[in-house]
Amino acid sequence: MREKIADLLEQIQSFEAESREHLETFRIQYLSKKGLIPALFNDFKQVAAEERKEMGMLLNNLKQKAQEILDLQQERFAAVKENKIQMDTSLPAPAIGGGRHPISIVRRDLNSIFERIGFKIAEGPEIEDDFHNFTALNFPEEHPARDMQDTFFIRKSPDIALRTHTSSVQVRVMEQGKLPIRIIAPGRVFRNEAISARAHCIFHQIEGLYIDKDVSFADLKQTLFYFAQEFFGPETKIRFRPSYFPFTETSAEMDVSCNICGGKGCNICKYSGWVEILGCGMVDPNVLEACGIDSNVYSGYAFGMGIERITMMKYQINDLRLFFENDMRFLKQFETLV
Amino acid sequence: MKISYNWLKQYLPVDLSPEYVSQALTSAGLEVEDIIPFESVKGSLEGIITGKVVHCERHPNADKLSLTKVDIGSGELLSIVCGAPNVSEGQKVLVATVGTTLYSGEDSFQIKKSKIRGEASEGMICAEDELGLGTSHDGIMVLPEEVEIGKAATDYFPVEKDVIFEIGLTPNRSDAASHIGVARDLAAILNFRESKKSYQLIIPAVDDFKVENTNLNIEVEIADPEACPRYSGITITNLKIGPSPEWLKNRLKAIGVRPINNVVDVTNFVLFETGQPLHAFDASAVKGNKVVVQKLVEGTTFVTLDEVERKLSANDLIICNAEEGMCIGGVFGGLHSGVSENTTAIFLESACFDAKTIRKTARLHGLQTDASFRFERGSDPEITIYALKRAAQLIKEVAGGVISSEIKDVYPKTIEPAKVHFRFDYLDKIAGQHIPSQQALSILQDLGIEVVKSNENEAELLVPTFKVDVYRPADIVEEVLRVYGYDNIGIPAKLNASINISEGIDPDKLQHAVSDMLVANGLQEIMNNSLTRSDYSEKNPAFAIENNVQMLNPLSKDLDVLRQTLLFGGLESIAYNQNRKTSDLKLFEFGKTYQFDSEKTKNKEALDAYNESLQLDLFLTGDKQSENWNTTAAPVDFYDMKFYVEAILRKLRIVRNALTVTELSDELFDVALVYTLGKTELLRFGKLSQATTKVFDIRKAVFYANIHWENLLKALPVNRVKYEAVSRFPAVRRDLALVIDKAIRFEDIKTIAHKTEPVLLQEVNIFDVYEGEKIAEGKKSYAISFNLVDKEKTLTDKLIDKCMQKLQSAFEQHLGAVLR
Repeated sequence: MREKIADLLEQIQSFEAESREHLETFRIQYLSKKGLIPALFNDFKQVAAEERKEMGMLLNNLKQKAQEILDLQQERFAAVKENKIQMDTSLPAPAIGGGRHPISIVRRDLNSIFERIGFKIAEGPEIEDDFHNFTALNFPEEHPARDMQDTFFIRKSPDIALRTHTSSVQVRVMEQGKLPIRIIAPGRVFRNEAISARAHCIFHQIEGLYIDKDVSFADLKQTLFYFAQEFFGPETKIRFRPSYFPFTETSAEMDVSCNICGGKGCNICKYSGWVEILGCGMVDPNVLEACGIDSNVYSGYAFGMGIERITMMKYQINDLRLFFENDMRFLKQFETLV
Repeated sequence: MKISYNWLKQYLPVDLSPEYVSQALTSAGLEVEDIIPFESVKGSLEGIITGKVVHCERHPNADKLSLTKVDIGSGELLSIVCGAPNVSEGQKVLVATVGTTLYSGEDSFQIKKSKIRGEASEGMICAEDELGLGTSHDGIMVLPEEVEIGKAATDYFPVEKDVIFEIGLTPNRSDAASHIGVARDLAAILNFRESKKSYQLIIPAVDDFKVENTNLNIEVEIADPEACPRYSGITITNLKIGPSPEWLKNRLKAIGVRPINNVVDVTNFVLFETGQPLHAFDASAVKGNKVVVQKLVEGTTFVTLDEVERKLSANDLIICNAEEGMCIGGVFGGLHSGVSENTTAIFLESACFDAKTIRKTARLHGLQTDASFRFERGSDPEITIYALKRAAQLIKEVAGGVISSEIKDVYPKTIEPAKVHFRFDYLDKIAGQHIPSQQALSILQDLGIEVVKSNENEAELLVPTFKVDVYRPADIVEEVLRVYGYDNIGIPAKLNASINISEGIDPDKLQHAVSDMLVANGLQEIMNNSLTRSDYSEKNPAFAIENNVQMLNPLSKDLDVLRQTLLFGGLESIAYNQNRKTSDLKLFEFGKTYQFDSEKTKNKEALDAYNESLQLDLFLTGDKQSENWNTTAAPVDFYDMKFYVEAILRKLRIVRNALTVTELSDELFDVALVYTLGKTELLRFGKLSQATTKVFDIRKAVFYANIHWENLLKALPVNRVKYEAVSRFPAVRRDLALVIDKAIRFEDIKTIAHKTEPVLLQEVNIFDVYEGEKIAEGKKSYAISFNLVDKEKTLTDKLIDKCMQKLQSAFEQHLGAVLR
């Protein structure tokens, strides 16, 4: 008896069904009413009383094992059993391409980050006159500040140029005379600079402007800190340095902790741990007055940044020219939704 | 702008690391872009020891070499092979010991133990050029007898070690365009941030200045006081031009200024010390002993110091003598009036020039000098006398001489310091947090601003004339905050934001939604340059040359106009990728196009002549799908483009039936459809002609759509989507196969059908097109389905048949259609 059980256990454990039919033979051979295992149960009656307990356990164990093996292997064939057709399901489905341009992706991210805290989108022309691009923004004629930006001119006296910054939209919006103002203005800008990995004659900026009673530098810092953490991640730190822009008084540049090295220092941040990303400040009273807003009542802040610059930081892109070459091998990398 | 740390310490003795100073300056608005170590002698004479040649004999194997034994006080004599012709026993010399690095320009080499022509050499006796102590290579340096041996060379030749801050000076900070200016800011920062110490600026005294005689008087006249508010001058005679002492040369060399001679070096020194540019004339060039500051007749020629003859403009301010021009004021000296080695008497100028005038001149002549850099940012009229006295004293110190005139000072209209009435609540309002008034006032005083009177609410301030950019309360706020530290302003926990109600449809959101729809259908967004080449429109008459927006100062011929269409950029992208083995492309671009309209140049608003509008263009070329086992490869066609275009219209609820559709074939398109609403074109699309794609070497057919996005936005329905009750009764479909002339269009059938059965007919669709053998020549067969619904009741067969009969006879009657 004992040998028979051990023998059968060995047999069933080494069983490997090759087909459903093969498995059925297994069931019939071992588990059916006339099978080998039920036959052993019949023999059990003759087992001596002192061995019964042990033999009973062994026998039950054998039956259980056989059933397990049957169930397990039946599962393997179950799917095939359901399937009426034989087919190669591993054949590839056609792939669908298509994606947004990385600048559009980031522009939309920026829009929604600022829209969430109540900014509205504004626009202005790319071909601008001197008043909106320079004079109203407190760039005096013959002032060194005009050298800070190389301008493409379309016409002289009256001067018409391609806007050098989206700050011109500030003037367009303020002129409309509706207060308070809380807008962002994404758009294309132009600089007369030779095209290279680090400079281009076109790029995109996003401008922000908030004008109301009691708008402060602390509010500006709050908005930009929120932006930095939303865009670069919650670990991001910010730093403000005094700077100069003709259209802001109390002007600043903002650095963010380098998102590549986390502030430890790398060649992207020139081992400083910080990367300069935007200029900002409190709107100069001259600008408010030039646009017909009483600077004794209203104050405001403005900020502006290059979309390419932060896109390059986000995706670790190292050459500006890639954005306007439309190489599919580049664009395809931004196909996914996340 | 370079600032030497050692030099800075002359006015503000501090003992802080350069990194600390750099951070402090940057945080207050003087951005340190780089910290560069400086040594007046490269290598700082490290390893160079004084020695004595105790033995010298001819090298046995070389005529020009000597074998020497040199005592450098180490107890053992060094054997050195020396090639200098002047080496001899008993000389005191400088020895580069083994291991020392010597520099020659950018190259360097290390002294090693070696054998020269078979004789051992363990060091080198140096010439002055080899050490960086001079330029002579005539022979080794021979030191005076009293020099002790075994001493470091630096005991006798002091080396200046310094650190240079490269500061990116913003255009508003002419007050900091000098060492004293930077020291003033640094003192204010340190006083505020390091509460324990009190930093005081040390301004060099000029009390000893004294007029020694009045033997050489030069009169000064300002003909144009607007361009030159102040002009001060003095003469110094009996001086001797020569090289400057080491300390002066080192100061200038440290900040990258080449020493020239003692007088010119002093004027430069005072410029970088105080920020006030000075100019020294050879007194003998001041003909008639008279200086006239004036603008000359346009076109007058003048030769500048760089020996270039320049044509002057009527704006250029010229410093003249009684007969002719001597110098372009505040910008560049003249060739014939400057200090030369024969000069014995000078006229020293210290003036204040108008910023705009100087800037125009500097730009016109392409001359950017240290003087023009400062004047065009605005200079301090009150510093001219101080700078003159300071320079005169230094010149006496380094070049001798006698001060031989009173200070001539022409200052027709005194420029007063700006008075600012400043309220502390304004400071708090702009900052967004409370800043104690005492802190604000002490910052302002450290920056040189005088507090005339103050109480807890407000202060009367006098801003010195050197702060040309500070004259309003807003400017005072910035002065306080930049020293207070922007990072010390807290970030509020709650948002301060006004409410913004949106008006109607947000075009930006719609643009993203349409883009997403195209992307979901497999299109890739591209982005092309707005600048393009004018010869595209020369080659293609669809875009007239005269409508190009042309740049006056283009980057290159390839980028000389703004694009009139996104078409050429898109074709460039197709060609670019086709050349890189990707030729199945589905692309779209949202971008602006630009047109010039010469008719409108007469308008009051000059910008009217320049039109810019947002376009959405689509490009399809190559196969419909990427290669796949499941589908047969088929190229994209006209109807693929129609699919995308009409999908956009449908999603925007622009009703097709309201549009006029015309067919077209022109230079651009082999075949195209134009959709217009009234007189406004909404879009056109079709198959591009080969003539168009050939220019770009594109081999496959390209289907192109141009959608006038702004016109489309204007055509959007004003009403919102309104729910209509869904019919409770089922729709019925009936099919007809019609044989018709090839010239008849599906659109005609559809129109007739809807006209014939305006109530029940919901939808007309075509599900098969057949042309061929089984049909007569000139004919085609259209299999068309008709969907009928009655919203009120279930349609009976009788009614359906009647309706179909009506349709059939209408097709027979109007189109000559025959049932197949």
